[in-house]
Amino acid sequence: MPRGDFLGSLEQIVMLAVMRLGADAYGMTVRREIEARTGREISIGAVYATLERLEAKGYVSSFTGEPTAERGGRAKRHFEIEAAGHQALNASQNALKNMSEGLSRRWKRA
Amino acid sequence: MSLSTLAASQWILSRLTPPAQAEALIGDLLEERRLRLQAGSHVSVAGWYWRQLASSVPVLLWASMRRGVWLVSVVTAVASLIAAVLMMHVLQSAMWPMTTSSFVHDVMMLLSFAAAVAACGYVAASIRLGAARLLAFLVFAAVCRETTLPGGALWYKGLFLVLGPLATIAGAALSGRRRRVRL
Repeated sequence: MPRGDFLGSLEQIVMLAVMRLGADAYGMTVRREIEARTGREISIGAVYATLERLEAKGYVSSFTGEPTAERGGRAKRHFEIEAAGHQALNASQNALKNMSEGLSRRWKRA
Repeated sequence: MSLSTLAASQWILSRLTPPAQAEALIGDLLEERRLRLQAGSHVSVAGWYWRQLASSVPVLLWASMRRGVWLVSVVTAVASLIAAVLMMHVLQSAMWPMTTSSFVHDVMMLLSFAAAVAACGYVAASIRLGAARLLAFLVFAAVCRETTLPGGALWYKGLFLVLGPLATIAGAALSGRRRRVRL
Protein backbone atom coordinates (compact mmCIF):
# COMPACT_ATOMS: atom_id res chain seq x y z
CA MET A 1 0.00 0.00 0.00
CA PRO A 2 1.49 3.37 -0.99
CA ARG A 3 2.40 5.84 1.74
CA GLY A 4 -0.34 8.32 2.65
CA ASP A 5 -3.21 5.96 1.89
CA PHE A 6 -4.10 5.34 5.54
CA LEU A 7 -7.12 7.24 6.71
CA GLY A 8 -7.12 9.57 9.71
CA SER A 9 -9.35 8.72 12.68
CA LEU A 10 -12.01 11.30 11.80
CA GLU A 11 -11.96 10.16 8.17
CA GLN A 12 -12.57 6.58 9.29
CA ILE A 13 -15.37 7.63 11.64
CA VAL A 14 -17.08 9.70 8.93
CA MET A 15 -16.77 6.88 6.38
CA LEU A 16 -18.18 4.35 8.82
CA ALA A 17 -21.11 6.68 9.54
CA VAL A 18 -21.78 7.06 5.80
CA MET A 19 -21.65 3.28 5.45
CA ARG A 20 -24.08 2.76 8.35
CA LEU A 21 -26.57 5.31 7.05
CA GLY A 22 -26.59 4.00 3.48
CA ALA A 23 -29.05 5.92 1.29
CA ASP A 24 -29.83 8.35 4.13
CA ALA A 25 -26.24 9.61 4.46
CA TYR A 26 -26.08 13.38 4.24
CA GLY A 27 -24.39 16.06 6.38
CA MET A 28 -26.90 16.25 9.23
CA THR A 29 -27.48 12.51 9.59
CA VAL A 30 -23.73 11.80 9.44
CA ARG A 31 -23.10 14.37 12.17
CA ARG A 32 -25.88 12.97 14.38
CA GLU A 33 -24.77 9.37 13.82
CA ILE A 34 -21.22 10.23 14.93
CA GLU A 35 -22.48 12.05 18.01
CA ALA A 36 -24.85 9.21 18.93
CA ARG A 37 -22.28 6.42 18.51
CA THR A 38 -19.09 8.08 19.77
CA GLY A 39 -20.49 10.57 22.27
CA ARG A 40 -18.17 13.10 20.65
CA GLU A 41 -19.65 16.47 19.68
CA ILE A 42 -18.69 17.29 16.13
CA SER A 43 -19.42 20.37 14.06
CA ILE A 44 -21.21 20.25 10.73
CA GLY A 45 -18.23 22.15 9.29
CA ALA A 46 -15.84 19.37 10.34
CA VAL A 47 -18.12 16.75 8.75
CA TYR A 48 -18.25 18.65 5.44
CA ALA A 49 -14.52 19.42 5.42
CA THR A 50 -13.76 15.71 5.98
CA LEU A 51 -16.24 14.59 3.32
CA GLU A 52 -14.77 17.11 0.86
CA ARG A 53 -11.28 15.69 1.52
CA LEU A 54 -12.54 12.12 1.07
CA GLU A 55 -14.33 13.05 -2.14
CA ALA A 56 -11.15 14.66 -3.50
CA LYS A 57 -9.31 11.38 -2.81
CA GLY A 58 -12.05 9.46 -4.63
CA TYR A 59 -13.15 7.55 -1.52
CA VAL A 60 -16.70 8.93 -1.45
CA SER A 61 -18.97 10.45 -4.07
CA SER A 62 -21.93 12.78 -3.68
CA PHE A 63 -25.10 13.74 -5.46
CA THR A 64 -27.65 16.49 -4.87
CA GLY A 65 -31.13 15.57 -3.68
CA GLU A 66 -34.40 17.45 -3.90
CA PRO A 67 -34.85 20.74 -1.98
CA THR A 68 -37.28 20.50 0.97
CA ALA A 69 -39.29 23.09 2.90
CA GLU A 70 -37.89 22.15 6.33
CA ARG A 71 -34.43 23.01 5.00
CA GLY A 72 -35.51 26.45 3.82
CA GLY A 73 -35.79 25.18 0.25
CA ARG A 74 -32.23 23.91 0.20
CA ALA A 75 -31.21 20.60 -1.34
CA LYS A 76 -29.50 17.74 0.53
CA ARG A 77 -26.14 16.43 -0.57
CA HIS A 78 -26.08 12.64 -0.27
CA PHE A 79 -22.85 10.72 0.10
CA GLU A 80 -21.87 7.13 -0.70
CA ILE A 81 -18.68 5.10 -0.36
CA GLU A 82 -16.77 4.24 -3.52
CA ALA A 83 -14.79 1.02 -4.11
CA ALA A 84 -11.50 2.86 -3.44
CA GLY A 85 -13.02 4.07 -0.16
CA HIS A 86 -13.85 0.50 0.89
CA GLN A 87 -10.27 -0.55 0.15
CA ALA A 88 -8.76 2.40 2.07
CA LEU A 89 -11.04 1.76 5.03
CA ASN A 90 -10.18 -1.95 5.05
CA ALA A 91 -6.46 -1.17 4.89
CA SER A 92 -6.66 1.35 7.73
CA GLN A 93 -8.76 -0.94 9.93
CA ASN A 94 -6.43 -3.91 9.24
CA ALA A 95 -3.35 -1.83 10.03
CA LEU A 96 -4.87 -0.81 13.35
CA LYS A 97 -5.93 -4.40 14.11
CA ASN A 98 -2.46 -5.74 13.29
CA MET A 99 -0.76 -3.10 15.40
CA SER A 100 -2.97 -3.73 18.42
CA GLU A 101 -2.84 -7.55 18.14
CA GLY A 102 -1.50 -9.19 21.31
CA LEU A 103 -1.52 -5.95 23.26
CA SER A 104 -4.82 -6.49 25.04
CA ARG A 105 -3.17 -7.57 28.32
CA ARG A 106 -0.83 -4.58 28.41
CA TRP A 107 -3.78 -2.37 27.53
CA LYS A 108 -5.77 -3.58 30.51
CA ARG A 109 -2.82 -3.01 32.87
CA ALA A 110 -2.33 0.60 31.73
CA MET B 1 -32.65 34.07 17.42
CA SER B 2 -33.68 36.75 14.94
CA LEU B 3 -33.97 36.21 11.19
CA SER B 4 -31.23 38.74 10.52
CA THR B 5 -28.85 36.87 12.88
CA LEU B 6 -29.63 33.63 11.06
CA ALA B 7 -29.07 35.31 7.70
CA ALA B 8 -25.76 36.77 8.88
CA SER B 9 -24.50 33.39 10.09
CA GLN B 10 -25.54 31.80 6.79
CA TRP B 11 -23.74 34.54 4.89
CA ILE B 12 -20.52 33.74 6.80
CA LEU B 13 -20.83 30.03 5.98
CA SER B 14 -21.57 30.72 2.33
CA ARG B 15 -18.37 32.80 2.06
CA LEU B 16 -16.26 29.90 3.30
CA THR B 17 -17.62 27.04 1.20
CA PRO B 18 -18.25 26.41 -2.51
CA PRO B 19 -21.87 27.31 -3.50
CA ALA B 20 -23.19 23.71 -3.79
CA GLN B 21 -21.65 22.71 -0.46
CA ALA B 22 -22.85 25.90 1.24
CA GLU B 23 -26.44 25.20 0.23
CA ALA B 24 -26.33 21.66 1.64
CA LEU B 25 -24.49 22.72 4.81
CA ILE B 26 -26.87 25.59 5.62
CA GLY B 27 -29.84 23.33 4.82
CA ASP B 28 -28.50 20.70 7.27
CA LEU B 29 -28.08 23.31 9.99
CA LEU B 30 -31.60 24.64 9.45
CA GLU B 31 -33.09 21.13 9.41
CA GLU B 32 -31.40 20.11 12.65
CA ARG B 33 -32.25 23.45 14.27
CA ARG B 34 -35.91 22.86 13.41
CA LEU B 35 -35.76 19.32 14.86
CA ARG B 36 -34.16 20.60 18.05
CA LEU B 37 -36.70 23.41 18.41
CA GLN B 38 -39.47 20.75 18.54
CA ALA B 39 -37.78 19.13 21.56
CA GLY B 40 -35.85 21.89 23.35
CA SER B 41 -36.06 25.52 24.37
CA HIS B 42 -35.18 28.44 22.12
CA VAL B 43 -32.23 29.35 24.35
CA SER B 44 -30.63 25.90 24.29
CA VAL B 45 -31.15 25.62 20.52
CA ALA B 46 -29.62 29.06 19.99
CA GLY B 47 -26.64 27.92 22.10
CA TRP B 48 -26.27 24.77 20.01
CA TYR B 49 -26.51 26.78 16.79
CA TRP B 50 -23.78 29.24 17.84
CA ARG B 51 -21.54 26.41 19.06
CA GLN B 52 -21.93 24.73 15.66
CA LEU B 53 -21.13 27.97 13.88
CA ALA B 54 -18.15 28.81 16.11
CA SER B 55 -16.60 25.36 15.71
CA SER B 56 -17.37 25.14 11.97
CA VAL B 57 -15.87 28.48 10.91
CA PRO B 58 -12.19 27.67 11.70
CA VAL B 59 -12.44 24.23 10.04
CA LEU B 60 -14.12 25.63 6.91
CA LEU B 61 -11.67 28.53 6.81
CA TRP B 62 -8.78 26.07 6.84
CA ALA B 63 -10.47 23.95 4.15
CA SER B 64 -10.99 27.00 1.93
CA MET B 65 -7.33 27.93 2.40
CA ARG B 66 -6.35 24.42 1.32
CA ARG B 67 -8.48 24.87 -1.79
CA GLY B 68 -6.37 27.94 -2.54
CA VAL B 69 -9.32 30.30 -2.86
CA TRP B 70 -8.15 32.51 -0.03
CA LEU B 71 -4.52 32.37 -0.99
CA VAL B 72 -5.20 33.96 -4.41
CA SER B 73 -7.31 36.68 -2.78
CA VAL B 74 -4.71 37.43 -0.09
CA VAL B 75 -1.81 37.54 -2.57
CA THR B 76 -3.82 39.76 -4.97
CA ALA B 77 -4.87 42.13 -2.17
CA VAL B 78 -1.35 42.47 -0.73
CA ALA B 79 0.18 42.97 -4.20
CA SER B 80 -2.50 45.59 -4.96
CA LEU B 81 -1.72 47.43 -1.73
CA ILE B 82 2.00 47.54 -2.57
CA ALA B 83 1.15 48.72 -6.10
CA ALA B 84 -1.15 51.43 -4.67
CA VAL B 85 1.61 52.75 -2.38
CA LEU B 86 4.11 52.85 -5.28
CA MET B 87 1.59 54.52 -7.60
CA MET B 88 0.76 57.13 -4.95
CA HIS B 89 4.44 58.03 -4.57
CA VAL B 90 4.90 58.31 -8.34
CA LEU B 91 1.82 60.57 -8.66
CA GLN B 92 2.92 62.73 -5.74
CA SER B 93 6.45 63.21 -7.01
CA ALA B 94 5.07 64.15 -10.44
CA MET B 95 2.66 66.73 -9.00
CA TRP B 96 4.85 68.09 -6.20
CA PRO B 97 6.86 70.66 -8.26
CA MET B 98 3.63 72.17 -9.64
CA THR B 99 2.95 74.31 -6.56
CA THR B 100 4.47 75.53 -3.28
CA SER B 101 1.19 75.96 -1.40
CA SER B 102 0.86 73.49 1.50
CA PHE B 103 -2.92 73.39 1.12
CA VAL B 104 -2.62 72.38 -2.54
CA HIS B 105 -0.01 69.80 -1.54
CA ASP B 106 -2.44 68.31 0.97
CA VAL B 107 -5.19 68.17 -1.64
CA MET B 108 -2.80 66.55 -4.12
CA MET B 109 -1.82 63.97 -1.52
CA LEU B 110 -5.48 63.11 -0.99
CA LEU B 111 -6.24 62.92 -4.70
CA SER B 112 -3.21 60.82 -5.58
CA PHE B 113 -4.04 58.48 -2.70
CA ALA B 114 -7.66 58.11 -3.84
CA ALA B 115 -6.67 57.63 -7.49
CA ALA B 116 -4.02 55.01 -6.69
CA VAL B 117 -6.27 53.06 -4.34
CA ALA B 118 -9.23 53.19 -6.77
CA ALA B 119 -7.07 51.96 -9.65
CA CYS B 120 -5.72 49.08 -7.57
CA GLY B 121 -9.24 48.27 -6.32
CA TYR B 122 -10.32 48.07 -9.96
CA VAL B 123 -7.47 45.69 -10.87
CA ALA B 124 -7.94 43.55 -7.70
CA ALA B 125 -11.69 43.19 -8.36
CA SER B 126 -11.09 42.16 -11.96
CA ILE B 127 -8.88 39.31 -10.67
CA ARG B 128 -11.09 38.34 -7.73
CA LEU B 129 -13.88 40.30 -6.04
CA GLY B 130 -12.85 39.02 -2.60
CA ALA B 131 -9.39 40.51 -3.15
CA ALA B 132 -10.88 43.99 -3.60
CA ARG B 133 -12.83 43.64 -0.34
CA LEU B 134 -9.68 42.52 1.44
CA LEU B 135 -7.79 45.42 -0.13
CA ALA B 136 -10.38 47.87 1.25
CA PHE B 137 -9.82 46.39 4.70
CA LEU B 138 -6.02 46.52 4.33
CA VAL B 139 -6.16 50.15 3.18
CA PHE B 140 -8.36 51.00 6.17
CA ALA B 141 -5.93 49.21 8.54
CA ALA B 142 -2.90 50.91 6.99
CA VAL B 143 -4.50 54.37 7.26
CA CYS B 144 -5.56 53.61 10.86
CA ARG B 145 -1.92 52.87 11.64
CA GLU B 146 -0.85 56.14 9.99
CA THR B 147 -3.39 58.15 11.99
CA THR B 148 -1.81 57.01 15.26
CA LEU B 149 1.47 58.71 14.24
CA PRO B 150 1.98 62.25 15.59
CA GLY B 151 1.46 65.31 13.35
CA GLY B 152 -1.23 66.35 10.88
CA ALA B 153 -4.73 67.67 11.44
CA LEU B 154 -7.37 65.24 12.65
CA TRP B 155 -9.87 66.18 9.90
CA TYR B 156 -7.18 65.50 7.30
CA LYS B 157 -6.40 62.05 8.74
CA GLY B 158 -10.13 61.35 8.96
CA LEU B 159 -10.53 62.13 5.27
CA PHE B 160 -7.89 59.51 4.41
CA LEU B 161 -9.66 57.02 6.66
CA VAL B 162 -12.97 57.49 4.83
CA LEU B 163 -11.59 58.02 1.35
CA GLY B 164 -9.29 54.93 1.36
CA PRO B 165 -11.91 52.16 1.63
CA LEU B 166 -14.48 54.20 -0.37
CA ALA B 167 -12.09 54.67 -3.31
CA THR B 168 -11.22 50.95 -3.26
CA ILE B 169 -14.90 49.98 -3.30
CA ALA B 170 -15.59 52.52 -6.06
CA GLY B 171 -12.79 51.03 -8.17
CA ALA B 172 -14.12 47.51 -7.55
CA ALA B 173 -17.67 48.61 -8.42
CA LEU B 174 -16.43 50.14 -11.67
CA SER B 175 -14.71 46.87 -12.56
CA GLY B 176 -17.90 44.89 -11.81
CA ARG B 177 -20.01 47.29 -13.90
CA ARG B 178 -17.64 47.02 -16.85
CA ARG B 179 -17.77 43.22 -16.67
CA ARG B 180 -21.59 43.26 -16.64
CA VAL B 181 -21.68 45.59 -19.65
CA ARG B 182 -19.29 43.28 -21.54
CA LEU B 183 -21.55 40.30 -20.80
